[in-house]
Amino acid sequence: MSKKLLLAASAAAILSASPAIAADDADLDALRAEVQAMRAAYETKIRELENKVETLEAKQVRTDERVASVEPAAGRPPVPATSSRQVNDNSFNPEIGVILQGKYQGFSEEDGDIAGFAIGEEAERGTEGLSIDETELNFSANVDNLFRGNATVALHEHEGEVEVEVEEAYVETTSLPYGLQAKAGRFFSELGYLNSHHSHGDDFADRPLPNRAFLDSNYGDDGVQVSAILPTDFYSEIGGGVYRGNDFPGGGAEGGDIGSWTAYGRVGGDVGDNTSWRLGASTLQVSEADRAANEDMVVFSGDSGLYIADARIVHAPTGNNAEQELIFQGEYFHRDDDGFYDDMDAGTGPVAYDDSQSGWYAQGVYKFDPQWRAGVRYSQLYAGDVPAGLVGSALDDGGHDPWAAAAMVDWTNSEFSRARIQYNREELADGHEDNQIILQYIMSLGAHGAHAY
Amino acid sequence: MRRLFFLIAGLGVLLASPSPAFAAVNVFACSPEWAALAEEIGGDLVEVKSATNARQDVHHIRAKPSLLAAMRKADLVFCTGASLEIGWLPILIKKSGGPNVQPETIGWLMASDYVQKLEVMSNIDRSMGHIHPEGNPHIQLDPHNIATVADVLAERLMLLDDTNAATYQQNLKSFQDRWAGLISQWEADAASLKGRKIVVYHNAWAYLVDWLGLEVTATLEPKPGIPPTASHLETVLKQVQGKDVQAILVSPYEDEDAAEWLSGKSNIPVVHMPFTVGGNDKAGSLSALFDETLRLLKQGS
Repeated sequence: MSKKLLLAASAAAILSASPAIAADDADLDALRAEVQAMRAAYETKIRELENKVETLEAKQVRTDERVASVEPAAGRPPVPATSSRQVNDNSFNPEIGVILQGKYQGFSEEDGDIAGFAIGEEAERGTEGLSIDETELNFSANVDNLFRGNATVALHEHEGEVEVEVEEAYVETTSLPYGLQAKAGRFFSELGYLNSHHSHGDDFADRPLPNRAFLDSNYGDDGVQVSAILPTDFYSEIGGGVYRGNDFPGGGAEGGDIGSWTAYGRVGGDVGDNTSWRLGASTLQVSEADRAANEDMVVFSGDSGLYIADARIVHAPTGNNAEQELIFQGEYFHRDDDGFYDDMDAGTGPVAYDDSQSGWYAQGVYKFDPQWRAGVRYSQLYAGDVPAGLVGSALDDGGHDPWAAAAMVDWTNSEFSRARIQYNREELADGHEDNQIILQYIMSLGAHGAHAY
Repeated sequence: MRRLFFLIAGLGVLLASPSPAFAAVNVFACSPEWAALAEEIGGDLVEVKSATNARQDVHHIRAKPSLLAAMRKADLVFCTGASLEIGWLPILIKKSGGPNVQPETIGWLMASDYVQKLEVMSNIDRSMGHIHPEGNPHIQLDPHNIATVADVLAERLMLLDDTNAATYQQNLKSFQDRWAGLISQWEADAASLKGRKIVVYHNAWAYLVDWLGLEVTATLEPKPGIPPTASHLETVLKQVQGKDVQAILVSPYEDEDAAEWLSGKSNIPVVHMPFTVGGNDKAGSLSALFDETLRLLKQGS
């Protein structure tokens, strides 16, 4: 210490004595200003630190009080005092989440049409090359003690134009008795397994063929849905809804009619500690729809009934899903179309059609390490028989049943980030074999709600 | 096809005959330690369902069908809180929890709301890993916390089922008398453990460390919730060398590969701790959980 002082003193002596470094006034002023600025900066910093200490002390006192107040007062329910966090104006802001996705897709086949099916926009195979796919903005919050609100807006590019889509905008009840829950607004209906899930949580980079062909990836319409979990020892749930009927496989809804309705029933449970399962059946009935497909070039007018059976089994080989997990999942679809198909590309004019189509997929995903999963999936579609007027149209499968096989590996760093590589081999139309490679990342910022089973 | 569909849908309804209620209070416990405590205080008057077992990581549970069915019946939801169950409990509550088990009601008991939490953070960011802003949620390994929560639980049970209030009061008293005795035994027993250096997998031992005065030299996870990486383990190895670290603690649900690797390189023994009730063959009750925890810690040296 004394050595340092000595040094400093001698340095000061040399400095003041030495004429060589006698500064002119301007230099001195600059120096003074700099010192002044430094002092100001230090003072601010010290004030900040003092404030921090004060806040911390205040917090400590509050916590102590809270712990002290745990002694329950007689007759008063010991419900915890609300969070000791300060209540600011923004504490009632909705939880905001953003899903960022990016993709590279490479296809060996130019044409992505599905033989025998007229499909919606979301069912197309996506952009080749690099793209940001779909960016999802999600806002949710409790409205009050009875309701919760949720809005999901998706931004994506379609043929060079940015499209803003209200994927979901609904309110739901949070605390109805008897296992009841009601939802109103626009939302992904409970249909089969995948339909009610957002694609960012999927196990593969694309939806299976039947979900694309029959539901345009997701059926999300404006309406009301009610569900009830029944008072059984195992899990059983029934529910259903009524909708405007404007989303694929509906469309062109106008007037005051209810365009479509859904119903579903499900059972589920555990087998031992390590395995859980769920089985479901559901239907979507659309009446007097005008379903536009294949970029509005194919229109179906009439009634359409879709029936879905779904199954899912989750098994944890070590008893701990965080470590290892094996998931099997499959869905079967059957659709009756009764009305008229008009393929404007083929110039068929409206042709009466009363037949059914079907399809299924089955998949297995194995989490072999807490961060790594591998999966395979197979999907298949069966188009209906076409009447003479539709031969050669998009509805004519040319004697080929479209199929697709997929294999993927993904890496999950945390529950908020995932990267995936997927290989698809498909033959969606006779002789059109397509080898696809997909690289993808999915990341979530901010609030991210819990995922359903 | 139509017929088949209605057949399957109808099946669910038919099977859904109401089941008779055997117990006065149905308790939905999120983890085994709270299930055990509910049974201590509630005795035969409660029916307890534990959503998880000791081999499962409570952070990562699926909102599976059986849990929806159990939540449907719940009169009391008894969990840890502090965002430990944030990945699945909100779904169950929203979907099948009735009006009496909603947050801030008598049927909603989050144990960590009533104890002094460690590691409360104010400025957090997801780059820090899986952080709980409310503080460390793994409160069950300090027996003083168990005693505090037992008081609150008894109070709730008395409010939910007032005809049996006297029994709950009685059960609480006998539990607390016994527990106080056990705590002083454990503390006397564990005096020699003070200052003992340990390595942990996840920061799940903070309350045990705080209670016994242990010292955590290193954590195998580079950040909470992020599994160990090779480079991080090399760093840990450097951190523990020459430090007289006595044990590497691993819970039943944690991957032991990283711990075994470190043990092989450093000769520090891996100690398989029960972590919660049922975490090993002998830890069948709350008191046995602490007996085992202390026995293993001492043996590990």
